[in-house]
Amino acid sequence: MSALRIVSTLAFFFVLFTIQESAVSLIHFPISGFSLYLAVAISLIALEDHNGALVTGFLSGIVLDLSPTSNAPFGQWALILTGIAFLFAVNRDSIADLTSSPVTFVLFVAVGVSIALMIYLLFGSLLGEQNGSLSHDLIVVLGNALWTIVFTPMFLPTLGRVREYSLTARER
Amino acid sequence: MARGGGNRSRLLLVILLVTALFFITLDLRGVSLTKGSRSVTQTILSPVQRTVSTIFSPVGRFFSDVKNFGKTNAELQQELALNKQLKAQLAMSADTKGQLSQLKAVLDLAGRGNYKVAAARVIARGSASSFSQTITIDAGSASGIRPDMTVISQNGLIGVVKSTTSSSAIVLLTSDPSFRVGVRIARSQSVGVLSGLGSTIYSLVLLDPAGTIKTGDILLTNGSEGNRPFVPGVPVGAVVGVDNSTASLTQTATVVSYANLNDLGVVAVILGAPTTAPSRPIQPSPNPTVTVYVTPAPTPQVSSLISPTPTPSAQPTKKK
Repeated sequence: MSALRIVSTLAFFFVLFTIQESAVSLIHFPISGFSLYLAVAISLIALEDHNGALVTGFLSGIVLDLSPTSNAPFGQWALILTGIAFLFAVNRDSIADLTSSPVTFVLFVAVGVSIALMIYLLFGSLLGEQNGSLSHDLIVVLGNALWTIVFTPMFLPTLGRVREYSLTARER
Repeated sequence: MARGGGNRSRLLLVILLVTALFFITLDLRGVSLTKGSRSVTQTILSPVQRTVSTIFSPVGRFFSDVKNFGKTNAELQQELALNKQLKAQLAMSADTKGQLSQLKAVLDLAGRGNYKVAAARVIARGSASSFSQTITIDAGSASGIRPDMTVISQNGLIGVVKSTTSSSAIVLLTSDPSFRVGVRIARSQSVGVLSGLGSTIYSLVLLDPAGTIKTGDILLTNGSEGNRPFVPGVPVGAVVGVDNSTASLTQTATVVSYANLNDLGVVAVILGAPTTAPSRPIQPSPNPTVTVYVTPAPTPQVSSLISPTPTPSAQPTKKK
């Protein structure tokens, strides 16, 4: 991953973070809420190669850690999304060629978001954070997965084009 | 791992994980760099959130509006407003009865509700990527708002100020799992601790082992030292279920909040509470000074036959 792409990816995540915190979080979803940021981050991680996925995971986590409403220690999301990126990079080939099967890709992203949230909860519990009852947490995780399945097909084509545009000639 | 890309990839993974762990350690040790970064983010975000909130708020209520489709909106709003008003009146009335029954300070009751507040608009809600329940309001330290101040809506307590910038503040909602507030039951004045559970249902644990909780009991904030983080007497919610388990030492109950945390538009931050609030000692006003004017009756003119002693010459006493 080139330095230019790192900067552009970071800028992209900042914009996405602003949209998430300013607009998406204002919507009262019937079941829990929807994290556009996580859905896009996991999608990008899934599209990248091994090293690219790791760097993308880390950068997206660092930006998410800047959330002023978060109770988690700074760096927790970076750790989790780097771990998720590693899992994706290692296992992606064994699952399928995701780009050729949009349905599988969407499900893969939804599962990724759910796993990320569950690991976040687990880490939070280990660090002594209060995250509420198990039933409530499950609703949050399942709600996020549901809305990810609903909304990911809407932004996925645009995301693919933006990513193609940001690639250097060598990376293409 | 061999499939993952060799030594370089492994090294990159280790560096990134170690960096993340380094940040976590710094944060847990309270290094201001990581705390400050979130404050800077809030400062940058709040103007954007304020603008987007103005444009985006009708869209934000889309899903809740769909649920009420077909109902006469005006009627619904009227009924809701009346319901909220009655609930608030009921809470205050029950609290007043409880206080009077224990012969507590009557003067404190007169001051209840006489708070100095700063009104603010909700411009953002907590992110779905974290499990914390917060809102962001468009007033901050420039309006006199400081961390650990009580935040109320028209129906009662909704949270406490978590952090501030000059023009915005983050409010930790009562529904947050880490939220705790001391409450008292208006009927019996028993004290307990109310905890958020992540939804509009709360858990109440009574501190008094001999105390009792009844369904329908009204809860009010107990107040904190110096009125921060909580001012006393703010309606919190009502008991909807009591856990009568004999195994526990104290009674527990399920409480429903008066305030609808999903429909917060305008809130108020309590900047100052009345000085005669119930949590503070009552200073009785000084007794009035009684001034007595003494005017002696006129000395009787005694005849010379029976006046062996001299007659005292009485002078009217003047007030000093």
